[in-house]
Amino acid sequence: MTAAAALDQRRLLADSVADYCRRSDPLRRARTLRGTDPGFDRSAWQEMAALGWLGVGVPEAWGGLGLALAEQAVVARGLSAAVMPEPVTAAMIATRAIVGCTDGALKATLLEGIVAGAILPALAWQAMPGDIDPSRCAVVAAPDPAAPDALLLDGRACFVVAACGADGFVVAVRTPDAPALCWVPAGTPGVSLSAHRLADGRPVADLSFERVGVPAGNRLAVGEAAREALAAALDEGQFAIAAELLGLSQRLLDITLDYLRTRTQFGKAIGSFQALQHRAVDLYIHLRIGDAAFDQALRQAGDGDPARRSAAASRAKARACETARHITREAIQMHGAIGFTDDCDVGLYVKRALVLSAWLGNARLHRGRYAALVPLDAVEA
Amino acid sequence: MTDPRAPTAAAAATDWDALPDDVFRLQVRAWLQANCPEHVRFPAGRMHWHECRDWWEILYRQGWIAPAWPRALGGMGLSPIKQIVMVEELERHGCGRMPDQGITQVGPIIIRYGTPAQKDWYLPRTLSGEAIWCQGYSEPNAGSDLASLQTSAVEDGDDYVINGSKIWTTLAMDATHMYVLARTDRSVKKQEGISFLLLDMKVPGIMVRPIRNIAGDDEFCQVFFDDVRTPKSNLVGALNQGWTIAKSLLGFERLGIGSPRRPQLAFARLEKLARARGLFADPVFMDRFTALRLDIADLSAAYEVFVEQVRRGEPLGADVSLLKIWATEAMQRSSELMIEAGDEHGALGGDSDVDGVAMNVLAPFYSSRPGTIYGGSNEIQRNILAKAVLGLPQ
Ligand SMILES: Cc1cc2nc3c(=O)[nH]c(=O)nc-3n(C[C@H](O)[C@H](O)[C@H](O)COP(=O)(O)OP(=O)(O)OC[C@H]3O[C@@H](n4cnc5c(N)ncnc54)[C@H](O)[C@@H]3O)c2cc1C
Repeated sequence: MTAAAALDQRRLLADSVADYCRRSDPLRRARTLRGTDPGFDRSAWQEMAALGWLGVGVPEAWGGLGLALAEQAVVARGLSAAVMPEPVTAAMIATRAIVGCTDGALKATLLEGIVAGAILPALAWQAMPGDIDPSRCAVVAAPDPAAPDALLLDGRACFVVAACGADGFVVAVRTPDAPALCWVPAGTPGVSLSAHRLADGRPVADLSFERVGVPAGNRLAVGEAAREALAAALDEGQFAIAAELLGLSQRLLDITLDYLRTRTQFGKAIGSFQALQHRAVDLYIHLRIGDAAFDQALRQAGDGDPARRSAAASRAKARACETARHITREAIQMHGAIGFTDDCDVGLYVKRALVLSAWLGNARLHRGRYAALVPLDAVEA
Repeated sequence: MTDPRAPTAAAAATDWDALPDDVFRLQVRAWLQANCPEHVRFPAGRMHWHECRDWWEILYRQGWIAPAWPRALGGMGLSPIKQIVMVEELERHGCGRMPDQGITQVGPIIIRYGTPAQKDWYLPRTLSGEAIWCQGYSEPNAGSDLASLQTSAVEDGDDYVINGSKIWTTLAMDATHMYVLARTDRSVKKQEGISFLLLDMKVPGIMVRPIRNIAGDDEFCQVFFDDVRTPKSNLVGALNQGWTIAKSLLGFERLGIGSPRRPQLAFARLEKLARARGLFADPVFMDRFTALRLDIADLSAAYEVFVEQVRRGEPLGADVSLLKIWATEAMQRSSELMIEAGDEHGALGGDSDVDGVAMNVLAPFYSSRPGTIYGGSNEIQRNILAKAVLGLPQ
């Protein structure tokens, strides 16, 4: 695709997302779905499938749009600007892991089902909070003594976003000799969910696996292929989450600037007070720096080298968390008491930002990973 | 007889702008490596004329002293994007800033607004270094609110007679000439009664008093005018047009002040200090260090966005000053982290031996101060962004 065609493609996607958000009143849905399970709307999911958004990064051979991470980021960013309750990014991450797996019948069935909206996948991989190293998963797969070729899974995975509505899980496991990715349909005996309520009112779950049987046909990838499929899914997921953080930051800044222009005190718009003007400018600068960093990181990630991709993902996520932190906190302050109410939309953005910031590594973790991956002499002196 | 210091024929004949950007970049880089004297690289503060005169003359002979000026007037005739390349390479090599206001400020103004006689007289002398300029804008009571300046110029025969005082005039003690904003009409709106004058610093009635700065250096001065005469032929542009003329310089030059280069250099010093102090093993320090590292990397990304805009031939908007704000404040954060990393060394004036490495821990603390004050203070930049970019009400 030429650069101009790619730009057009992105504009089309952004327009279709914005148009859908205008029509479907996501903020109201996000509000009413809070505290419910699965916390989103399966009919909206179906509409998103029809618009192609569930297969943006899926190759065309399996019914997807076959587009790159940049285009997936456009969708994530647009949906997040409207605080969309549907777990598009969570599904995208699991889908990306499957795309990276070895070709086979299961992969084809899953991807076609995902693109059509019939199968909603979630990724279960993380050993414990604060650990974003994909090689340290805590689910062990041993050969099933009862069924040759089958595996038995034992262990747990924490913070599985969209677990409650998922039709199945891509589970990262350790076999005695290699890492692997398996497909475990929801409801498989031995799988149990312990759900928690996220700050934004959606559920998240820790999964535990107790002698969960996985037939040979449900093994998606083993060894290097599994390792790289997981690593790529997580890196790209971090990019998508960063895009979400920037999308919601941009919208919340717009909302806040509107408020500064319209709310009056002391006989004039509060936006005429220099104390607020300067802080608003700082928020704008954070957003511009965040956007520029994201775009550059995306280009750095595109060169195919996994370590560079991880470093770039960390850079994007660390920055997006900071941008969102500044904007969401100041949005509350600049709205005054109304910003502290449950009725005000500011809270929806703030809480979504809290969730996205913690998910797949917060700013501090990503700074640490960036420092570990990019040698200091890469800084020109 | 030809002046042996004049640009070589080859230099004058070369159309540098015709080269592809990356070829040009590499040629500049190689030439700097071969020709730039060591003593003008990475200076601690602003260089005085006697410290960099040789470097000026080398650049002049090469025909590179004025990248932005048209070739017909002795410049390189570079496009905006090549000027950016040139600045980037000079910065990369650590070339210190010379007393270059004649080249970057008053020269372009004379080219645009000057009379033929002003061009013929001043431009060649500015290129050769015979005329070294200082900027006489700020006054004791006119800083951010520059338009309220009070230094007056009154017509008397063929001259203007100047009275008043300028302050913070960088390197006025080295300058042979000054370009001055002076009040020529008190009966109109403050911006509309200001004129742009050229002044020979040797005429009677001028007193230059250096002001020691916080780092202990004499870099800027106060300049007093007591019935100082400058001929009417030194008025640039029309009478009372000075404000417009002074403001006309705000083009893509503003990119330079937001370049990531100076923060990168400040960060490199911090890195050196942290290594000497063994701080890379300290996770608390490392988090702040990496945050700063990313602040600077992400500034570079934003800088590139604006460079691309220039490359496409688009004018820069008021939003470009976000780079200046971020760059200058990142440098200050870097200098703070240095002081902290230096422990007791952060209390020492001058060079100290930090675990075997010679360093001046406080140098970046001092050198990062002016950036947020001059060139339109960061508060003034925020005022501008709030109104011009965010559209917030008065
Ligand atoms: C190292 C150095 C070199 C310089 N070289 C030159 C030179 O060569 N020639 C020359 O003409 N000048 C020079 N200057 C002067 C420089 O342009 C001024 O310092 C600058 O314009 C600020 O003016 P001021 O110092 O009078 O500060 P003031 O304008 O008095 O400002 C004091 C503080 O108030 C803030 N402030 C002022 N107005 C507002 C507002 N409306 N809203 C919010 N905050 C505000 C400022 O940001 C600053 O923090 C130099 C300054 C420095 C530090």
